[in-house]
Amino acid sequence: MTVAAPAARAQVTDEPNPVIFPDPAKFARGLYTEGEIGSVVLFGPAGGGKVGPGFAIGTRVGYDLTRFFAVQAHGIGSTHQTSFPGMPQDDQLLQLYQATVEGKLTYRFGQLSIFAEGGVGVARLSSNLLATVPYGGGYLTRWRTGLTAGGGGGIDYHSLSRHFSFGLRGSYFWLRDISGSRDLIATLYLRYTF
Amino acid sequence: MLRSTTLLAAAGVLAALAGGCQGLNEPIYIAAPAALDVMGTDMTGAPNRVKGGVVLRFRKPNGTEQAQLDSDTQRLGFAVPWLKRDRIHLELLYTVSNLETDPQDGTGTFTIAVDGASELVKYDETTIAAAFMAANLKTAPLALMAPPPRSLGPGQTYQGTLREDDFIEGELDLDAMGRWMAPFAAVLINRSDVNPIGLDMVPPTAVIPAMQEIDVTLIAEKHMSCQFMVRVRSDDDQLLAQSGDANLFVPTPLLYVPNIAPPTP
Repeated sequence: MTVAAPAARAQVTDEPNPVIFPDPAKFARGLYTEGEIGSVVLFGPAGGGKVGPGFAIGTRVGYDLTRFFAVQAHGIGSTHQTSFPGMPQDDQLLQLYQATVEGKLTYRFGQLSIFAEGGVGVARLSSNLLATVPYGGGYLTRWRTGLTAGGGGGIDYHSLSRHFSFGLRGSYFWLRDISGSRDLIATLYLRYTF
Repeated sequence: MLRSTTLLAAAGVLAALAGGCQGLNEPIYIAAPAALDVMGTDMTGAPNRVKGGVVLRFRKPNGTEQAQLDSDTQRLGFAVPWLKRDRIHLELLYTVSNLETDPQDGTGTFTIAVDGASELVKYDETTIAAAFMAANLKTAPLALMAPPPRSLGPGQTYQGTLREDDFIEGELDLDAMGRWMAPFAAVLINRSDVNPIGLDMVPPTAVIPAMQEIDVTLIAEKHMSCQFMVRVRSDDDQLLAQSGDANLFVPTPLLYVPNIAPPTP
């Protein structure tokens, strides 16, 4: 007659470590949304203070296809004040709306991650004001809605919650139909991953 | 289950945002075709005047809208305009530059006078002046809207605005004179929210038409130039979107001529 010996079990001999080291693998991944606030500054033909820097608010909806790559839709609106001294177009309020489809690459180390993103989409002005401002033998804009493309990057900090992170990002976009002007978008964002 | 509910909520929020953006009521700016340029006083020493205008291009009402207008007209008992003051908001933006270079003698005074027309009535200050002259009466011409005269030094520029509330008043005065027999001097001199004199005949249910033509006169005693543009907010998207004239609303407003009795000898 034989008796099976009980399985050996390791004993805990140390105190639990009080510092929590989150496991990035446990961070939520998949569908996410972001809300952002910041500023938009224009450069080029519409820059130099002609269309002044503006407060911006935006949103993103995206999906992490892998740990490193995501696709996202981005919408941002910003409000600006014009400066055309000596012209009736001076001192008017103007809004710029941008909607883009973007790809995003992320490299994570612990709670921090850095990312680069870029995409293409449309930019729309709230009025035809810039289409009345002479520029280069024509006007500053031809259409209120035009093509935009560009990219940027940022840094993300993941909270101890598996859903929330926040960060800082900057991107630079080309606005083809505002006579090739560019805009720098700098925002703080909060992200929720479902 | 949780995920589909969340997605549904997100879609709802996006739809609400899209709806909100739809109602932003974005303005359209219509620039004057050319700047007004005044070369100074005339032979009699009176300041020279030059006039220019912007005619706004609106679309015709569609069948449903026309039926509604007809129904409203029948119900109220007077013409209900297609272009309504409450639905079309106007603002005039202008800059006046003194082009003189002589620092000793270059300073001069300028005045901006604004006339125009709704779809029903047109007001022209020069017609009023002609009517007074025909009756052997002397009067200072009265524009529909006129900001106070200003002085400009050589090389200086003034930027001004006739705001939406100025147009609200001007459009009321225009309609009161043209349709409701208001004495023109009384309504033009007085601001209706301060002193509604002359507006007694305007029914409280009257639908006031918006202006569709804005005529700007620059009156200056020195060499000055005026650039102007009209800012339009149309709540019902009545501005004509396409460039052709196929759907263009072409009103034929009646020119307002005051009934002036010549002085008794």
